[in-house]
Order: sequence, then structure tokens, then C-alpha cells
Amino acid sequence: MKKIHMSYEKKKGLYGYGFIALWFIGTLVFFISPVIQSIVFSFNEVKVEEGNLAQTFVGWAKYQYAFGTDPNYRQYLVEMLQNTALKTPVILIFSLFVAIVINQNFRGRTFARAVFFLPVIIATGPVYAIITGDMSTNGSNEAAQFSTMFETDMVDQLLEFVGIYGFNDKFTEILTTLTADILNLVWNCGIQILIFLSALQNVSTSAKEAAMMEGATAWEFFWKITLPCVSPMILACLIYTIIDTFIDPTNKVMTLIVAKQTQWDFGLMSAMAWAYFAIVLVALGVIFLIIRNWIYYEVE
Amino acid sequence: MADMVNTSGASAVLGKFKKKPKLKEPKMTRKERNERFKKRLENLTPEEQAYLKRKRALEGVWPVVRAILVFSLCFIILYPLIFMVSTAFRPRAEMNDPTIMWIPKTLILSNITDCIKAMDFWNTLGNTVVLNIGCALLSVVTCAITGYGFARFKFKGKGILFGIVILMILVPAQIINIPQFLYFRYWDIFGIIEAVRGEPINLINSPWTMYLPALTANGIRAGLFIFLFRQSFRGLPKELEDAAYLDGCSPLRTFVQIMVPNAASVFLTVFLFAIVWYWNDYYVSTTFFTDNKTIALALKNLNDSLRLTIFGNGNVSVSPRELIVWLEAGCLISITPILVLYVVLQKYFTEGIAHSGLTGM
Repeated sequence: MKKIHMSYEKKKGLYGYGFIALWFIGTLVFFISPVIQSIVFSFNEVKVEEGNLAQTFVGWAKYQYAFGTDPNYRQYLVEMLQNTALKTPVILIFSLFVAIVINQNFRGRTFARAVFFLPVIIATGPVYAIITGDMSTNGSNEAAQFSTMFETDMVDQLLEFVGIYGFNDKFTEILTTLTADILNLVWNCGIQILIFLSALQNVSTSAKEAAMMEGATAWEFFWKITLPCVSPMILACLIYTIIDTFIDPTNKVMTLIVAKQTQWDFGLMSAMAWAYFAIVLVALGVIFLIIRNWIYYEVE
Repeated sequence: MADMVNTSGASAVLGKFKKKPKLKEPKMTRKERNERFKKRLENLTPEEQAYLKRKRALEGVWPVVRAILVFSLCFIILYPLIFMVSTAFRPRAEMNDPTIMWIPKTLILSNITDCIKAMDFWNTLGNTVVLNIGCALLSVVTCAITGYGFARFKFKGKGILFGIVILMILVPAQIINIPQFLYFRYWDIFGIIEAVRGEPINLINSPWTMYLPALTANGIRAGLFIFLFRQSFRGLPKELEDAAYLDGCSPLRTFVQIMVPNAASVFLTVFLFAIVWYWNDYYVSTTFFTDNKTIALALKNLNDSLRLTIFGNGNVSVSPRELIVWLEAGCLISITPILVLYVVLQKYFTEGIAHSGLTGM
């Protein structure tokens, strides 16, 4: 019997297929075919019948309905995009700041890190929904006090205290939306803080020492050493944050989509979902292309 | 061979976790320090003096500001948990007592025991633990194998296939779960089962709806896990495997004996996250389970089950404000196991992500 000769590279390639074979089969069954099925749904009128789904082809009608006729879809989409555009920079700046703070040496640092990461463990579950729900039903008592602590009054008072009266309304409005939501903000930053923290720990010690010797202030050090070093992670965090906000089942568009599902309108639901998904994908692509030029990669 | 790998690889991994020795400065009184500082200023230009003074002032103030900042942020994060503990042991009547801020006047356990009864807690907990550990283990093993395939082998179509992995991260489960539901409702493999049994199997409500995707690296957040594994395997030195190949070790054996031990911390991290995410999942499980079989589902339906078991089907009227004590008690018992896991293994949750090669993105 003659042995079949294959080059080492080719053989290795075959092993590669072997390693991903199991995933590939699973993906065909549990991911790709549902995806195709749901895209097909979006071009059809789907009716639930006993033991089956009856489909009649309607072309782009469902998409037209979603954008043209549906009372909420377009409005929610715009709100969603605005919210994300407003919140993402805040989340990034906040988590970078927190990461820098808890990267310093102080007593109780381990505890602080554990606390900042805690929301990641809880925030995905139904517990979070109950927590936020309860704090709002709690009405007059402490929870309301707690949340109003951060609302308009405080911002206005702070501005007045600094000596700014009757400041631009638009600005206070933005500040208010941000500060009113501070609980949401800190509860959504866990992963980002962690990513920045690991990036900060990789800032090379030689650069740190050189800067110290030259007498750089903390401020200069941040802009000239820290920021360029963590810039690849800023992109990673940015993309993570955007994906996280977009696929968050509690956001308005997602809630609308899930609501259509419970009304058994699978065609419309799929159309809405895929249009939404396409918008997200385009947004991500554009952001990626813009940001890419500003990132500093250490040449090795 | 194996010795070489263990010493070089493992120490490189362990080295990151070792604490750096701290340099201790001899302690000085405030007076001594002030004098030393003045001495230092003597020979400097006014500009340098001003700079040093400013720096010293900042160094004095910053720790205080930092302490206040960290404390208040920690308080905001912990607030819901403090609230949870405070209300879970509170009699319902005391929810309306304005004099009570945090500590209730009487502590009771009945909220907790009511919830345990309503959620059928111990059975549910058993089910959830078995399901979670099973799915998490399967997920870790299959995702690691897939991640390794993507990290170290060249083959045709790799770019497109990896694109699918990225899509798995991006596409929300909500979009595809109806076709998935239909699959499981009429489960069949190429029509074989229908030919044998006369009808396809109904897998809805069976744990197989969770195990099967996990078994084929398609469980909850599998795309992210594959991505993490790929990144961390790519970060390991290639020489290890090349040496193994030259010694005639097959790729599978190389993976099991050389790559797995070297990436042990990533395995643990992914395993922990898989457990947490399976524990918290209610979206996928509401689609496939109609009974309360997991903690997350039982908690989601706690409102209704309380009405059925404790409040005698609406005979007892409970205001939303008073209902909070039960809901929070339910939350407390549901997150306690995961909190304990987090407190004990905190290091692996945080450091694992930090070292898992996300940094090499």
C-alpha cells in the first residue's frame, strides 16, 4: 500500500478543519440556518397554524411598514442612536478615569476592584430588572431621594456654587440626562474598566521611569504616555460598548422587537430586527474606520 | 519535553501573578520631612521650586479626593445590594414606616422562607446547578477546541468562518430564537427520526435544548468565548508546538498536553463566565422552557408564583410597595450562590480577563 504524501502545511490545514468541525456543524444547525430562516421571514407574511408556520411572500412590504407606518419604530431608532452617541463617550471617559484611579496603590484597592466589577456578575440577570424596578416603585422614600440627589438640582446648584448663573439650557439638559442615570452608568462600566485596567498595567515601565526622570507632571504623563498606550483598548472598549448597548434586551428598539414577537408577527419582527442590525453594522464600520487612524500601536 | 514546557510556560504565566517586592522607606516624622523638602529646594531655581511645591501639594490632596471618590462610587454600586439586604429581612408593614432608613425595627426570616417555598428553591437550585455546570463545561471544552483551530491553523475559508464567529457575537439571540424554537419543537436529523418514530421529537422543556448547542460550541455567548480562546492561544509562544510536532506529537495531543496547561487561567475564567451567564440567562430559557426550571426563570416569575402559593390567589392584597420585601428576598437568595462564587474566586474573574489576551486585539 502506498502512503499518500502531503506537505506539512497541507496536513496542518486539514487538522485545522478537524478542530473547527464540531463548531461548524453546530453553527450550521443552531446559527446559520436560523439566521437565513429569519431573513426569509422578514420578506414574508408569517401566520401561525397548527404545527406549522404559513408563509406568503410579500417582498419589502414588511420593511416599508416598519419604517413608514409603524408609529414607534423610526422614532425609537433615532432615540436609540442619539442615546448611544451621547452615552458611549461618557462611559469610555468614566471607565478610563476609574481604571486609572484603581490602578494606583492605596489601601482597599482589591476591595474597590471587586466592587467595580460586581455589576458584570449581576447586571445580566433578572435581578437587575427587579432592582431598578423596585427602586422606582419605592416612591417617596429613600430610593427617590437617592436618585434625585444626582438630578437637576444638584447640577444647577453646583453650577451656581461655582458662579455660573442661568447657564445654557441645552448644556444643563445634557448634564441632567447623564447624571440622573449615574446608577445605570456605573452599572454598565464593569467590563470596560477591566479592559482599561489591564491595558494600564501593560504600559511599559521604562516609559514610566523616563517620564519620571524628566519631571513630567501627572497631567502630561496622562496625555503623552498613558493615552497613546491605551488607545487600542479605547477602540476595543468603544466597540464593546456599542454592541452592548445595541443588543441590550432592555433598550427601546429591542423591547419593541420582542413585543412584536409576542404578538406573533414574526415577519414584521424579523424585518425590524434585520434593519436594526444593518444600521448597527454600518455604524460600527464607520466608527471603526474613523477611529483606526488615531490609534497608536507600539512597534516591536 | 514535558518538563521543559512546564518550567518555561508555567512560570511565565505564574510570573504575572506574583507580587512585586515593595521598597520600604524609613518612616519619618512630619518635621523631618518638611526639613528635607526645604533642603531640597535650596539649590533650585524659582521655577523648579514652584513645580516641586505644586507637586507636593497635589500629592497631599489627591489621596483624600481619591478616597472620597472611590468610596462614593462603591456606595452607588453597592446601593442596590444594601437595599436588598435591608428589605429582605423587613416585615412588610415596615416598608411604609418613614422613620426606617436602613435597619428595620424587627428582623424576620419569613420573606426568605416564603420565597423558598414559592420558587421551589431547593429543587430549582439543584436543577440549575446541574444544568449550568454541564453546559459551562461543554461550552468551555468545545469553544477552546474551536478557538485553537482558528488560532493556529491555516486553511481555506478561515476568514469567512471567523467572520461567522464575529456575527455570533453581534446577532442578538432574540432575532434567531423563533427558528431555533421550531427546530427544537420538531427535532429531527435528516428525517431519520420521523421515519422511525412516525413523528419528530419535541425537545421543548427538555434540558437538551441547552446541552445540544453547548455541545457544538453554540451555547450562550459562545462567539465571545471562541474569540477569547483564539486571542489567548495566539498569545502563547509558537516554539512550544513546533518542538512538539518535531518530536512527532499529533496536533490533538499537542493541544491537550501543551496548550491546555499553559492556558489554564483562561479556561477557568471562561468557565466562570459561562456559569454566571447561564445562571443569569432567562431569555433563552424562557423560549425553550415553559416550566420554572432555573433560578433565573423562577425569579422572573416570582410575582405570579407568590400570588399562587403565598397570597392565596389574590385573597391577600399586597401593595406594590410591600411586595418589594418578597421580591428583594427572592433576589437575595438567587444571587447568593453566584456572589459566594465571585467573592471566593474574584481573582480569576478579573485577572483572567486581563491576561486572556484581550489586550492583543
